[in-house]
Amino acid sequence: MGNDDYGLIRRVLAGEKDAYGLLVAHHSQSLFRVAFRITENEADADEVVQETFLRGYRKLQDFDSRSNFGTWIYRIAMNCALDVLDRQKSHTVVPVAGEYDSDLPALQVADRAAGPDRLLLSREIEARRYAAMARLTPIERIAFVMRHMEERSTEEIAGALGIAPHSAKQAVFRAVKKLRQSLAPLWVRS
Amino acid sequence: MNHLTEEEMISHFYCEDLCQAEAEIHLRACKRCAQAYEELSQLLRSMHAPGVPRRGSEYGAQVWQSIQGSLQPHRPMRKRSIFRWPQFAYAAVCLLFLAGAFWAGRFWEHAHSKRLVAGGEQQTKERVVLFVLDDHFDRSERLLVRLNHAGGGEDSVDFPLQAEAQQLLSDNQLYRQSAAPANDPLLDAALDHLEQVLLEVANSGNELSAGEIASIQKQMNTQGLLFQIRVLRARISEQKTNAQAARKGANI
Repeated sequence: MGNDDYGLIRRVLAGEKDAYGLLVAHHSQSLFRVAFRITENEADADEVVQETFLRGYRKLQDFDSRSNFGTWIYRIAMNCALDVLDRQKSHTVVPVAGEYDSDLPALQVADRAAGPDRLLLSREIEARRYAAMARLTPIERIAFVMRHMEERSTEEIAGALGIAPHSAKQAVFRAVKKLRQSLAPLWVRS
Repeated sequence: MNHLTEEEMISHFYCEDLCQAEAEIHLRACKRCAQAYEELSQLLRSMHAPGVPRRGSEYGAQVWQSIQGSLQPHRPMRKRSIFRWPQFAYAAVCLLFLAGAFWAGRFWEHAHSKRLVAGGEQQTKERVVLFVLDDHFDRSERLLVRLNHAGGGEDSVDFPLQAEAQQLLSDNQLYRQSAAPANDPLLDAALDHLEQVLLEVANSGNELSAGEIASIQKQMNTQGLLFQIRVLRARISEQKTNAQAARKGANI
């Protein structure tokens, strides 16, 4: 795949624009997955994917042939996601209180419960998790998603966010602490 | 080992702690830390990634369709060269401009100096002609004055007058030929008239009698010739003055 990507990149840089379409096809699914995990919104995730490939095309001349295109475009996607979250933060007011707010939007999760009680609990947990994630700063949120859900190393997180590894580690710590503060009562109760 | 901090527990959960084995031993030994770590692990394990909506195999094509309109094809990359076009073009234009200015300057200087030399040569030539003619007319005037006075009491004119007339005659022939292209009617007429008088005097034999002198004065109208020569000398004097003024102006 890596060699294929490099061949396609050379064709794009030689003026064959449509070759970039194949790179988009190769990487759009994985980018959408991580974009959705970060934004938790389909429209935002689609926007992140599109913006990522646009930026990638414009910066393609700067691409180092020794690098992996997947890693390179992933980093761009993280920056695009960061921009989207920053924009959302400036337009959205998130309650600071740790109490559960029933008015908060809940995600539709797969129904793995046997009965109504289980379904209700799942919904409550999901709503709490969503609210807790919304309280994280964009950097903390991306660092946590990359660490916890994408299983990326601290160095990879630091590289994607353009920060020092120590700062990336601290961002993960802060994210976990905040999530713990918000979600621990629920676990005690259950 | 001291109790584990929250950060150490988080690092342990993600297997990023440097002393993983020690932490594991401590967690087995310390009930308090084990309980705290269990709560943290339970919480983090519950943090499932949200269910990602399905995107079909055509998703990549859809994304490409949505962005391709705003993308311009990349220009083919050229091999890097020390003669990169923009810099090379500017340098070449500057070099051409300098070379053009240099050659234009040389050409102008050459043409100008040629014109100056030509003009200078012409002026020098004119000055020499004026000087020589003035000298010729001066000597001729003196000969004519002596000739006019000779007819008064003396019986004959001595040899030196005839010898001078012969010298002036050869000079006059030369000047007449030289002055012909100038197309100056007064000068031509004077030189022609002078030549006839000089020819008569030079060929009159060793001595001129008073009668012969009177005959020459009458036939050749030497008085009229003397007047013509004086007019020409006055004009030559004026031309010499103008030429000197022009020369001073050119030097400034």
